[in-house]
Amino acid sequence: MANNKRYWTGLDDLHQTEAFQNLQGQEFPQHQAMDEALGDESLTSATTGRRDFLKFMGFSLAAATLAACETPVVKSIPYTNKPEEVTPGVANYYASTYYNGQDYVNVMVKTREGRPIFIKSNTSTGVGHANVRVNASVMGLYDSARLQGPHLEGSGSSWDKVDAKLAQAMAQDGRKVVLTNTVLSPSLQRSIDTFCQVHGAEHLQLDAVSHSAIREAAEEHVGSKGFPAFDFASASTVVTVGADFLGTWADAAYYASEWIKGRQPESRDMSKLHAFETVMSMTGSNADTRTMVRPSDHGKVLVALHGAIAGTGETGGLEGPLLVAVQNAAKDLKAAGPRGLVVAGVNDLDAQRVAAAINTALGADGTTVKYNGEGLLAGDDKAFAQLVADMNKGDVAALILHGTNPAYHAAQKDAFRTGLAKVPFSLSTAGLADESAARCTAMAPDHHWLESWMDLRIGGTRIDLGQPTIQPLFDTRAAGESFMAWAGQAVSGYDLVRLTHNPRYTSAGMYNDSEWNSALHDGFYMTGGDMPDSAVALGLDIAPSIARLKSIKGGGMELALYQKQTMGSGDQAGNPMLQETPDPISKVTWDNYVTMARTDMESMGLNTYIAQRDKASVVKVTVDGEPIELPAFMQPGQTPGTIGIALGYGRGDGGENIGKAAYATDEDGGHLQTGEGKPMPIGANVFGWATMQDGTPRYDVHDVTVEVTDKEYPLAATQIQNTVMDRGSVVKETDYTSYLSEADKAKGRASWNKNHTLAVHEDVNGDGIIDAQDSKKTSAFDLWKSHPVEGIGHRWGMTIDLTTCTGCSACVTACHIENNVPVVGKDEVRRHRDMHWMRIDRYYASDWSQERGAEEGVGVIASYTKMEDPSANPQTVHMPMMCQHCNHAPCETVCPVAATTHSNEGLNQMTYNRCIGTRYCANNCPYKVRRFNWFNYQGYAKFQNINPSQDSLTRLVLNPDVTVRARGVIEKCSMCVQRIQEGKLNAKKAGAPIVDGTVATACAEACPTHAITFGDLNDDQSKVRTNANNNRSYHALEEVGVQPNIFYMTKVRNTESNES
Amino acid sequence: MQREAAIREPLILGHKTYKDITDDVVGPIMGPAPLGWKIMITISSLIAVYGVGCILYLLGTGIGVWGLNKTVDWAWDITNFVWWVGIGHAGTLISAVLLLFRQKWRMAINRSAEAMTIFAVIMAAVFPGIHMGRIWVSYWVLPLPNQFGSLWVNFNSPLLWDVFAISTYFSVSLVFWYIGLIPDFATIRDRVTGPWQKRVYSFLSFGWSGRAKHWTRFEEVSLVLAGIATPLVFSVHSIVSMDFATSVIPGWHTTIFPPYFVSGAVFSGFAMVQTLLLIMRKGMKLENYIHVKHVEYMNIVIIVTGSIVGVAYLTELFISWYSGVEYESYAFINRASGPYSWAYWIMMSCNVISPQLYWFKKIRRSLVATFVLSIVVNIGMWFERYVIIVTSLHRDYLPSSWGEFHATSIDIGIFIGTIGIFLTLFLGFARFFPVLALNELKTILKSSGESYKNEQAK
Repeated sequence: MANNKRYWTGLDDLHQTEAFQNLQGQEFPQHQAMDEALGDESLTSATTGRRDFLKFMGFSLAAATLAACETPVVKSIPYTNKPEEVTPGVANYYASTYYNGQDYVNVMVKTREGRPIFIKSNTSTGVGHANVRVNASVMGLYDSARLQGPHLEGSGSSWDKVDAKLAQAMAQDGRKVVLTNTVLSPSLQRSIDTFCQVHGAEHLQLDAVSHSAIREAAEEHVGSKGFPAFDFASASTVVTVGADFLGTWADAAYYASEWIKGRQPESRDMSKLHAFETVMSMTGSNADTRTMVRPSDHGKVLVALHGAIAGTGETGGLEGPLLVAVQNAAKDLKAAGPRGLVVAGVNDLDAQRVAAAINTALGADGTTVKYNGEGLLAGDDKAFAQLVADMNKGDVAALILHGTNPAYHAAQKDAFRTGLAKVPFSLSTAGLADESAARCTAMAPDHHWLESWMDLRIGGTRIDLGQPTIQPLFDTRAAGESFMAWAGQAVSGYDLVRLTHNPRYTSAGMYNDSEWNSALHDGFYMTGGDMPDSAVALGLDIAPSIARLKSIKGGGMELALYQKQTMGSGDQAGNPMLQETPDPISKVTWDNYVTMARTDMESMGLNTYIAQRDKASVVKVTVDGEPIELPAFMQPGQTPGTIGIALGYGRGDGGENIGKAAYATDEDGGHLQTGEGKPMPIGANVFGWATMQDGTPRYDVHDVTVEVTDKEYPLAATQIQNTVMDRGSVVKETDYTSYLSEADKAKGRASWNKNHTLAVHEDVNGDGIIDAQDSKKTSAFDLWKSHPVEGIGHRWGMTIDLTTCTGCSACVTACHIENNVPVVGKDEVRRHRDMHWMRIDRYYASDWSQERGAEEGVGVIASYTKMEDPSANPQTVHMPMMCQHCNHAPCETVCPVAATTHSNEGLNQMTYNRCIGTRYCANNCPYKVRRFNWFNYQGYAKFQNINPSQDSLTRLVLNPDVTVRARGVIEKCSMCVQRIQEGKLNAKKAGAPIVDGTVATACAEACPTHAITFGDLNDDQSKVRTNANNNRSYHALEEVGVQPNIFYMTKVRNTESNES
Repeated sequence: MQREAAIREPLILGHKTYKDITDDVVGPIMGPAPLGWKIMITISSLIAVYGVGCILYLLGTGIGVWGLNKTVDWAWDITNFVWWVGIGHAGTLISAVLLLFRQKWRMAINRSAEAMTIFAVIMAAVFPGIHMGRIWVSYWVLPLPNQFGSLWVNFNSPLLWDVFAISTYFSVSLVFWYIGLIPDFATIRDRVTGPWQKRVYSFLSFGWSGRAKHWTRFEEVSLVLAGIATPLVFSVHSIVSMDFATSVIPGWHTTIFPPYFVSGAVFSGFAMVQTLLLIMRKGMKLENYIHVKHVEYMNIVIIVTGSIVGVAYLTELFISWYSGVEYESYAFINRASGPYSWAYWIMMSCNVISPQLYWFKKIRRSLVATFVLSIVVNIGMWFERYVIIVTSLHRDYLPSSWGEFHATSIDIGIFIGTIGIFLTLFLGFARFFPVLALNELKTILKSSGESYKNEQAK
């Protein structure tokens, strides 16, 4: 056969066609089909038919549609040139200093990938401790309301134009004034001085809340200017007359951390605090003895105190229990002698002179009071009053504002506003277009403090430094730099600071200046030289002061203007974290109100109970014919016959852009509108009600009228039950004498902290009889096998000392910021849906108890109802409460999907990803610390003006180490597990065990009084273990048997035993 | 053939013949829908649609549209759940327990009682689903092998027990109900003429031919299923009660809960059967099958279970005082005198006092009184769950966390909506299903006695 092949490559091969044979001979066929096809002329004349067209169209459309369906890509761009210090995922800390005219604190700024996200105290410097306002101030950096560049006449401009306009204005005749808050920065002072010199301007200072009387009294007393330095740490008896030195008075951030040093029961030398005050303040709530005083009697209390100490027998016209309270305080002060300390809050020269005289009489000058000429609070109210008068006369040619907002916080704010309109050129360096800046000709925004170089000197030989932690976000310019530029001496902000302290400084040497670098690392340096000695008292003639103070007459209803711990003087009104942090006393968030005594409210027929649907009654308060309507809030401890209103509210009354959170929101999250269509401010501005006395504002009014209106207003409080209902295992407290008498007893033995035991039907004590004496500790009873946490590996735990907790709430904001806890706004808080992982329970004492009910023949049910009412002037307990990390956690057993589990280090862990949101765990938590994500807080319209994560700029403050929780899951305190993990990794890298104190939760770190201690309970040497073994420590709700890893320590009040 | 003492009231009145029974039950299915039925199903389905709308809004927005808060994390959701599960108790009790006890009177009511059970359990199942924060991952409560790692459910959690208890109860009830329906579907199949109806009922009747072998198997299966279902009657609500009993919350942490919940469930279940049947017997002219005797028997069950519930309430009160635990005693003082005492006293009067009226024979045999009281009992039982859940939670251990609960329109809308869905389903059942177990009923038709003999003599 010609063809015996059994396999063919194709039919052509089988039939051996001609074309096949042709091709077979060629290794590289010459004529390729494609060439032929392309060369075919007839193809070019081919038309695409209608159907083909539709097919192509259809295909293209489908292809294009499919291509568009790609999920959005969010690119994360790696560093092209990685900065040397930045390791993604590892935080850097920079020492800096916070100063806003009121709070002065050395801080450490935590930055992640170049973003400052957390502020904590720089504890190594020993000056002050960050409080709630300082912690929360990091939010201000990312406020989208910040000015993004210079403005001229209401619209955006350039620095050149603003500088030119200013130069023009400076050429005019008339007073040219630089008005600032108290300048503590030598560099800023230098630049202002230079500016003033060049342009013939004057520099005036004004504090938001004036403390000028105390400076004036000190000046008369010792002949030198300056704010007295108080030593609260070494004082053994402190008497405060209206000075909230633990909260907002003067340098409170420093005083609080100092005072607490003398409040350790274990030292057996616990200091004592007597408070005389009108409104219940942080200080009053922590006082051992608190006495209610009308504002008009503050001076008389000081007079009587002086009379009792100096032995003149002067009682200031006081009588009855008030006089007895003053005499008791005097007795303690006398016993303390040079370790006594009297501070007075009222901004009244006569009162401050008497207070200074009392300290002198005690011999406290030079011990607890030092006149070192500190620079704090140097505002000059009289000069400001003159300035306002001149502005209104048209005598002021130019006004430059820095760090001050007189159109909001000056007592003469209305006159200032009209005057400002008459000033031809005005300029503000404020970072926000606040009430004053918005009315100025020009706005030349200063850097945020986290973007600035700073040097600060409060007094003595120490300079505190501040450094930028981020490049300026916007086209802003440091104020010092601006002043120098306007003086024609352009210098960078950095060089300005350097040159102030080292005239030989050149930029060439900046990298190898080790002294400077270490100072910057530490956050401060000492200039050398001796501290100025406490000046010698010249002696005051206080007789006229006493006469005047005695002659003060009170009115029917008196008003005290006070500051809240959270809002201070109101400069951070747009900070949602601060607005949502409950006031430590009232527990009300997001609002301003009139505090009133129960008796007064009842006689006026006002609502005393505030809850979700129980609204507050609105009252009309009138001062000098000017009415303000505010809701009334029943405040236990409020002096009957007085009312209190907080300063710091009513920001943005002209609808200024000071931040979305500064305005009241409705139930759907939009801003409420005023009649003029502007956003409605929260509360009312009452700075204007300060009584002017010799040109100085005094923050009380001795005669106001309070009228009932028929309006109601919802207030949002995080706590609506005020008393502890006699539940002995929640808060344990004792008095100092009882403590001392049993201070050496073992844990669980002292009468004030007995172990909780349960009777059992077996002969435990071995006396052969089974009776009530046979009992076992609650830990002996358990259904479950114990978690193997004792003695194995780490066992993270915490102790919280109720004696030293002042309720300041610094921990609350620190926790909020560290853990990205959602801010939910007033309407949600009113519905009891605040998300605080960490809260501070505040309990007032009640006059009533079941015991008293039994004695007086009142039934059990009626007694319980009476126990819900706090005393008129109650003792107060602050109890920080967060997840107790129970070793036998009730939440863990009930979760159907095991989303909450116990770690082998004693942590109760919450796995958000696994949570399906049955909320059973939250129900079953005896401490009610679990929080549910009721909405999508990151996207739902209700939270658009409130929640930081809904703002593309503010979102940058979120901590990248902590998940932002989704809608529908439970969240709660994790004991900052991200920090524990970091600490463990660091220890692992170092190849050494974790050193006690290197890992701290945000709350423990933030606590200015070190009431919260965190650590490893399995480490016998750790501080937390020592505290847990202390005989004051106990478990809250011990009898529930959940075995928490958090211990509380019995509160000791420095009072006499009731029985003696 | 059933023998009955002459003195006893017969279970079927009106001298019915076998054909009459078939006509009475199948007739309504074959005839056109009556106007009353059309009106009722329109109203109930509108309510159902509104409820579904509320549910969709809830799912789209978040649990925050309810009135729950950090202190009270369950309220109407779980109240409704327990209430519906409770209602779903009567059906199986009637068909299973009464079958085992050979209570023939059950035959007139068991079909609709079981239908009610099925629908009530469906309504109950809605709530654990929608009350979850993330319903889209609700399948995680099932112990499914998965790729999430070694994730498994938590067998310690009473909520997981609920999942098993409810799903078991639902499937057994459904099977039991369906098995009973098969011969009756076959009867309908044999009568209907429309081609579609014929096809549907043929399918539903699974080829039933009525052979003796089929009947033997039918009865065996019924007995076996009754045996399986009986423990479930007690287990389901015991387990539901453990949602509360195993917790640490004062007012929940109580060992009395399982029996107390089971009797409460039977109590409310019978009340709901009364409510529905009293309407149905009138609307579908079944007065001869469901008559005063049946109502009286059910009322007796209500007295017994209602009294057990009353004793349980008093025992709780006593123990709260006797235990000497301050939290426990306060929880009960607060129930009776606190902000939600109104709910407590509604519960007490509806559940403890109202069933005691049935000791009077006149009331027990009065259809109007029974109808009114059955609704009162169901209101009372809803409040019982509300009281247990809300008043225990709103003031528990730490006074700082004491709060309040206020229902929102969505809370109310979803509850009303489930009633609408339930009624829609039940009306559908009444229209298309044999509402009486007609083949079973034929077994108790009196075939002896004077009237029967007279009939035969003709």
